[in-house]
Amino acid sequence: MDPPQLQPYQSQPPLTKPQVTTYRCMRCRTPNEIKPREPIRCLDCGYRILMKERTKRMVQFEAR
Amino acid sequence: MDATAADAPNYIALLEVPEEKMVVLPGASDDLTSVTFCIKEEDHTLGNSLRWAIMQNAQVDFCGYSIPHPSEAKMNVRIQTTEQTNAVDAMDKGIDDLKSVCQLLKARFQQRIRQGDYARAA
Amino acid sequence: MALADRNRVVVLEDRVENVSGADFPMSIDGQDVAFNLESFKDSFDIKIVHVTATEIEFDLVGVDASIANALRRILIAEIPTMAIEKVYMINNTGVVQDEVLAHRLGLLPIDADPNEFQWKRADSVPTDQNTIVFKLDVACEVDRSAAAGETDPKKKYINSAVYSSHLVWDPKGDQEQRFATKPIRPVHDDILITKLRPGQAVTCELHCDKGVGKDHSKFSPVATASYRLLPEIQILEDITGDDAELFRSCFPPGVVEVVEEQGVRKARVVNPRKDTVSREVLRHKQFEGKVRLTRVRDHFIFSVESTGIIAPEELVSKALDVLMEKCDIAKAALARAVKSSEEDE
Repeated sequence: MDPPQLQPYQSQPPLTKPQVTTYRCMRCRTPNEIKPREPIRCLDCGYRILMKERTKRMVQFEAR
Repeated sequence: MDATAADAPNYIALLEVPEEKMVVLPGASDDLTSVTFCIKEEDHTLGNSLRWAIMQNAQVDFCGYSIPHPSEAKMNVRIQTTEQTNAVDAMDKGIDDLKSVCQLLKARFQQRIRQGDYARAA
Repeated sequence: MALADRNRVVVLEDRVENVSGADFPMSIDGQDVAFNLESFKDSFDIKIVHVTATEIEFDLVGVDASIANALRRILIAEIPTMAIEKVYMINNTGVVQDEVLAHRLGLLPIDADPNEFQWKRADSVPTDQNTIVFKLDVACEVDRSAAAGETDPKKKYINSAVYSSHLVWDPKGDQEQRFATKPIRPVHDDILITKLRPGQAVTCELHCDKGVGKDHSKFSPVATASYRLLPEIQILEDITGDDAELFRSCFPPGVVEVVEEQGVRKARVVNPRKDTVSREVLRHKQFEGKVRLTRVRDHFIFSVESTGIIAPEELVSKALDVLMEKCDIAKAALARAVKSSEEDE
């Protein structure tokens, strides 16, 4: 899929930066930064199975 | 509550002791010889042992307990006595006797532990 | 019924008879045998059989089943201990899911004196008086020093398994001084919590609260607390010869012995305590009418196995303290109930 093209009638650039999420390649374990609409593929080895990193946010659990 | 002073070990979370721990259920006789008490947050542990203690009183004609519904933390104790006493006094005596029994058991147990005439392994 | 039989439960081939006692005034031939503490003091006894670091076995003789059962119930459900209640998961990339890991952590026995801590209300904040904090931070990696063809994960990787010994106590406030002589730690160091592989890690903070077994069994200070009634084997008629050997084989080893008396082999009961009351002996026709199996209704063989937080002999004392405290609370509540019902009138 081609990266999105900026249309000529768009007067302003998008206010928010495109979201970047880090994924980890399931073959070579290198972290990949992938933006929306980018091909899902490891930049290092070309493997197509990537996994999202766990949230860095703390999560509370009841030990029950 | 004075029963459990700050320095005494309180095993029961006093914050869990409800405001109306015990109530006299409607239908008690005027002379209080037959009364049903409802005790909250108690179960067979106190129920059956208290029933036994109250039944040891010769002036008690009948004593029984029940837990009407398992999802409600309530226990009912029914006491019927002769005219020589009343259910409130019988309940009070029962509680005192049960406590005395516990004290005797504890004293004897600790005495036996101190005697040390038993097999002791690491 | 004979006096000696009154406190015997009779075990028959297909049923159990005389199960419930009637030890209260006027129930026995209208006799007024009212309870009094003086006679009770002489009629009951406690015999301690053995004590180890985690177990106690003792005989409670001459008390009602309701007292023995109250004791057992309190031991299991109402003696407070400290246990992990909240798990703040910062990272967990292992295969065990967060909630499963949190549950496993909760079940670890924590060696802390519960008397040193206060109860924590649902709305109160954690303080050094009601909370113990542990940190768990383990990451697994490949052990570079391991031999090339190594297949054992324990040698191949570092931290391939997370054990309870990985928990690090984080003293808050004055806890460091309060517990200087006995630092807070899990009772056992070798409890497997989860397994990891290189690249996986677990990081979390754990908060312990005070609680009781009736809320969650992780708070229970005992592994088991149980009692059984003392078995009794009554030989009503001599069992001799080959029958004596057969009779002995009907019981676990050490219960019955065959002795020789004037040239006759005879079965004799030596240690009925060891009997499992399997009723095997009642299946044989040749013993019909010759043997009676009973249990002593007021002789309780107690066995208490501690999780290691509280010494077993201390547990029994504490259980009695709890029952006494219940009496105190009930007595105060009774006084209030009577007062409020008088006010209503």
